[in-house]
Amino acid sequence: MIDTLKNSFARLRRSSFFAGFVLFIIALILNAALQGPASFFSIKSINTLFAKNAAFILVAIGQSLLLIAGTMDVSCGIQLALVNVVTIMTHQVWGIPFGLSCLLGIGAAVLASIAVWVCCSVFRLPALLASYAMTYVIRGVNVMIMSVPQGKVPREWYMAYDSQLFGLIPVSFFAVLGVLLICRFARKTPFGSHIYAVGGNPRNAFAAGISPVKVQLKAFLLKGVIVGIAGLCLTLMIAAGNPLQAEDYGIRSLSACILGGLGFGGWGSVASAVFGSGFFVLIQNSVYYFFSLLVRMIPGFSVSSYWQNFVSDVIIFLGLLMTIVTAKGRQEVLREGIVRQFKRIDYRKKPEGLDGKEAASHE
Amino acid sequence: MFELRGVDKRFDAVVALNNASLNVKPGEVHALLGSNGSGKSTMIKILAGLVNPNAGEILIDGSPVEIRNGYDSRKLGIATAFQDLSLIPTMSVRDNILLGNEPKNALGLVDQRASDEIISRLLERFQIDCDPDDYVQTLMPSTQTMLEVAKAVALKPRLLLLDEVTAALHYDEIQVLFSVMRELKEEGIAMVYVTHRMNEVFEVCDRTTIMRSGESVITGPMDDFSLDDIVYYMTGQRPDKSKKDVVHSHSDGGREIVLDVKNLSIFPKVHDISLRAHKGEIVGIGGLQGQGQPELIRAILGAIRYEEGEIIYDGEPSTFKLPSKAVKNGMGFISGERNREAVFPARTVLENILAGKVAKGKTFAYMPAKANRSFAQSAVDKYNIVIGSLNHPASSLSGGNQQKLVVARWIAMQPKLLLLDDPTRGVDIHSRLEIHEILKECANDGMTILISSSESEELLSLCDVIYVFYEGCVSAQLTGENKTPEKLVAAMMGMSEDHEIVSTMEAKA
Repeated sequence: MIDTLKNSFARLRRSSFFAGFVLFIIALILNAALQGPASFFSIKSINTLFAKNAAFILVAIGQSLLLIAGTMDVSCGIQLALVNVVTIMTHQVWGIPFGLSCLLGIGAAVLASIAVWVCCSVFRLPALLASYAMTYVIRGVNVMIMSVPQGKVPREWYMAYDSQLFGLIPVSFFAVLGVLLICRFARKTPFGSHIYAVGGNPRNAFAAGISPVKVQLKAFLLKGVIVGIAGLCLTLMIAAGNPLQAEDYGIRSLSACILGGLGFGGWGSVASAVFGSGFFVLIQNSVYYFFSLLVRMIPGFSVSSYWQNFVSDVIIFLGLLMTIVTAKGRQEVLREGIVRQFKRIDYRKKPEGLDGKEAASHE
Repeated sequence: MFELRGVDKRFDAVVALNNASLNVKPGEVHALLGSNGSGKSTMIKILAGLVNPNAGEILIDGSPVEIRNGYDSRKLGIATAFQDLSLIPTMSVRDNILLGNEPKNALGLVDQRASDEIISRLLERFQIDCDPDDYVQTLMPSTQTMLEVAKAVALKPRLLLLDEVTAALHYDEIQVLFSVMRELKEEGIAMVYVTHRMNEVFEVCDRTTIMRSGESVITGPMDDFSLDDIVYYMTGQRPDKSKKDVVHSHSDGGREIVLDVKNLSIFPKVHDISLRAHKGEIVGIGGLQGQGQPELIRAILGAIRYEEGEIIYDGEPSTFKLPSKAVKNGMGFISGERNREAVFPARTVLENILAGKVAKGKTFAYMPAKANRSFAQSAVDKYNIVIGSLNHPASSLSGGNQQKLVVARWIAMQPKLLLLDDPTRGVDIHSRLEIHEILKECANDGMTILISSSESEELLSLCDVIYVFYEGCVSAQLTGENKTPEKLVAAMMGMSEDHEIVSTMEAKA
């Protein structure tokens, strides 16, 4: 029993998302302490946390797929706004059922993803720059569709989004769970290993008969669907349309993934994205409670929300620095391990009849 | 029956293959032999679909086929184990072996049970001791090489190409590999085996094709060849065994020792290297590719760290942590990898020549434009570099002239010790001779030169003393009348006195 526990802890330690997991746990404890455990673990508080942040977590999951495949998309933040405006406007202008509008919204996200794929994988433009440029293209499209914030979501839809299933589990949680199950399924298909191969070493993947461009297309399509779902979560949460929102989700999801332990290309897993984005969310939440605690304790103390953002962003930056330290440490451990193995083999060879010196000189 | 007929391949001016041919029968192990740059690897790459030939045809069972990429090659039943490995280090052993060849179940998922079975059977067959879920990057180089072969065999090919796979393997692993190869032979699989280890060739191969400068010189059953014959066909000369090459320490009493490397080891390639360079001497480093030559040179320069040993430069132990320190202390470094390590292609000829001077001077020192131009112009004139204008980008020059540009950059600095890593790679014969002349002249003026080269002729014509590297150790030190092509080639294959003893002992064990 203790042995299996030890083993699973050792596996966890070795896993790529370990740094993200530790950060997540720290943020969780910090948040619970600042907010008070009773309040933090209440159904209402967890529901709000999920409802508000499901979109961000989903975007990070989508981004992680691209990072594994060796590419990225900074424009997926503004793609949320695209989903938002397409869903609201098709429902409002054409009068089609809201469910159909939601599907159109997802379709729009998939189209935007394909456009980014064409730039990054087919034309081979640097992914960071190309997708950053796409941010402005999509922004233009958004404003063309909806010039000013407007529109609303049918009441029963956003009420349903804000409710809890069995009075316990928030509906938004199911959106995240569903997407994670899709990713889990995809990981078990050949695509699940091809995506790592393409991200890890495109040349060798090509030599193994895999087409990097096609694999990246699949990753972009999957990411499009996930961003579509995230856009719907956002729409149902704010229950209105705004063409210029969530733009920073793109770059933030990227840093959440890196925080969680994903590398650029072929390293890490979707779990990294979940823990990384969880850390992001909880730190922002903790900082909010920290400042309200200050306000309560020090009479006359008041700061603008900019200060809160500043503090939480500094913490996130420190978190990013920490991942560099842990990654370096892991490399060192890896190197030491290899050296040790080498020495062991040299040592083992010596007693076997051959004179040690000659065996060593031959190797 | 697999056949290559009249295959030509040129990379710009360099002819890699010239009317080469090869035919391999089912159920035989065919040795493809030749010295560095004779075109063996190009031949393998053509069959693997990584290189497309300029001319010639590929026939399988008598009918011509086309191999445009790796996928075509796989479909025709060809599997390749590459020398530089095609594994993906950040993926698990399981995923690597099954990559592109995953067994699927009805749902389109990877069939776990089937793949577990394939993996465990394969690991057992090759006696690889590792967890299928280990990342490949955590395995030892020799285990990785075994996996590379296992991965190729897992494809159940009709033709298996093994490109210098034993270079990184240990003795017992080689024996496992050979027994698998014998089994595959029974199954009627054709194999092409590239190696530099001659004792292995006689152990497993049935027939051989020997290549020299891109041409296939001779093909025949292995039994028809002796070791001397093979060296003869590879070099065009008979080895002379009467004279023994003695590893003697160079005792030039009066001359000052500029560089003294003692028992250097650099993980993982270099094990125990000692060499010495005197003032005004040209010291050559020979050997097959990947025996630790670039690592040694970069360790002297301070670009990479070394584990054990000592480097004494100019009478003092060198502790350079960065190349910039080494350059300030009078070292120069010329790399054969022009684009990666030497030339700034988009910058002007002038700036390229000044790069060395800039590196040595103070960061904010004022550099008068006129002095710069005359400095550069004199270098261009002195070394006969053909340029349009000093202001043209370096990329407008031919390869040979670009290399001369780099040579000029460093020689104009008058370094005490000049390190060259395969400086004439891909350089035309005329520029090469010019570079040789420049180097000889500098050595006469008292510069110490350490040059690594993959070309035997270059080392033989240029160097006072040649250290030959084999598997991270010095296998021979050739001076004076010992500097013959045959001795050099033999030492490069590890066939010096010591190593013959080792191989025979191992054969008995």
